[in-house]
Amino acid sequence: MRQRHRERVLGFLRTIQKPDRPFDTVAETDSLVESGLIDSLALLEIVAFLEEHYRIDFAAIGLEPEQLTSVSGILDLIERESR
Amino acid sequence: MSLAAGFGRTARRLGQLHEDPAVVARWQAWTGPLLSRLTPPRRRALLALGALYVVVRRPLKEMAPAVDVRAPAGPLAGALVVLLCLVVVAAVYLAARHFASLPAPVRGRPQLWLHGGFWAIVVLGWLVPDRGGVVALTLSGLVLALAFLLWRMGYLLLSGQRGRMAGTRFSDHLLYLYPAYGGSGVPYGKGLDHLARHEAASEEALARSQLAGLKLLALAAIYHGLLALMAGLVYAEPRGPWSVHGLGVPRVEALLPAGARAPWAAAWSALYAGLVWDVLKMAARGHEIVGVLRLFGFNVFRNTYKPLLAPSVVEFWNRYYYYFKEMLVDFFFFPTYVRRFRRRPALRMLAATLAAAGLGNLYYHIVFNDTFLLTLDLAGLRPWLEARSFYCLLLSLGIYVSMRREQGRRGVAATAPVSISTRIRRITGVWTFFALISIWADASAATFGQRVEFFVSLFGFR
Repeated sequence: MRQRHRERVLGFLRTIQKPDRPFDTVAETDSLVESGLIDSLALLEIVAFLEEHYRIDFAAIGLEPEQLTSVSGILDLIERESR
Repeated sequence: MSLAAGFGRTARRLGQLHEDPAVVARWQAWTGPLLSRLTPPRRRALLALGALYVVVRRPLKEMAPAVDVRAPAGPLAGALVVLLCLVVVAAVYLAARHFASLPAPVRGRPQLWLHGGFWAIVVLGWLVPDRGGVVALTLSGLVLALAFLLWRMGYLLLSGQRGRMAGTRFSDHLLYLYPAYGGSGVPYGKGLDHLARHEAASEEALARSQLAGLKLLALAAIYHGLLALMAGLVYAEPRGPWSVHGLGVPRVEALLPAGARAPWAAAWSALYAGLVWDVLKMAARGHEIVGVLRLFGFNVFRNTYKPLLAPSVVEFWNRYYYYFKEMLVDFFFFPTYVRRFRRRPALRMLAATLAAAGLGNLYYHIVFNDTFLLTLDLAGLRPWLEARSFYCLLLSLGIYVSMRREQGRRGVAATAPVSISTRIRRITGVWTFFALISIWADASAATFGQRVEFFVSLFGFR
């Protein structure tokens, strides 16, 4: 299941990444913002993506931007909220 | 070309010294025993010890401009303010620690309750007759001192809300509530969550953090030097070096009251010079604070990172005053973004931007308007409020438009390289935007009308 989520999330991240950044060199736990792959503005789009595709209600659970800055953080959140 | 490339390489190498394994190893060898003794708990303890001094010093410093502690009731009022601040901080700490057992309305909107409590004290201060007695002086001092603590206590409550208080002690929180490393009303380094996330866990990480801190402190010294040079060579201020050769560019606040009568060239040069001055000043101060934090192993982001090279308004805003922006994002942007207009993306972003860069920005500055907080002087507040509100509106709209444009430039399809001329054009646009809106942010006594006249005169309308 995690692998399926991972592919979906990576597919989405490619649509919002900064141009000319090597996506494959970033480890799953690396900060996407600090590695320069996405800018902090892209977090908003990650929020909208998770709301739309995984029905995560950030108004109810609270938004911790740090959770969304790595692929593993996003996947952990999806798994936690899907239970 | 090769000279420029060589210079660029050297500059990059110098800038990344703290990442060079050989340099890090040398630093570890040089500071060896000290580094091994400076474990994370000991470093926190050192900052907490410093905080004990700040517990007394900071409230007295914050209240000093408006409350005379030399008055007959002053020393007692000062002591009471120091004590009451600590009581409030301890109460907020306990609330954060037992967040789950707080009443539901408080758990739902903890920041609103915190600010509500602050404004209740402000109103109480307005109601108590100002006769120089202990009660009036204490309330006045408390209001000013709590304004400094307000946003830090906000981060403390946020920790509680996010369930991050487990394993932390009161002394851990004291280090950012009463920062020995300095700071303004804006919590540099944010709260303990953020600091802990960037805390060096190994000796090597501490060495890297300290080298990065030393680099920032060196840069801060250079920026102070540049500010002194600018004061002499650009503003021709008598205290600055080589002021006799200075250009004599006027300060913006000196020109604003002249409105449309301000000389055209002087007005434009004052605006651009003012922007560079503000950036240098912000960078120098921020580098000192973050530099000290890094020496203690908290390898957090810089407060200012090359904003004058930012190619967009939103990028400048992100790089100019990072911790102020982060504070507005944490307390205004995200709460609005996750709650309002979720089905309408453009409106959702506009609302969140207006809430943060507009409303939040304005509110932050009201909280630090000493005269208003102490006297409820609405007539005195009005000219400032008009100008500041307009500035916040322009800033919000600029950021919003820039954010939308940046969104359009992202994605794998957007791989076309940007030419140097395009880059220069974008940077010039960003400078011009921030220089122009500063007309309404300047602390000058000019009226809103004078500022508008000044603005239109820049484009030949008088």
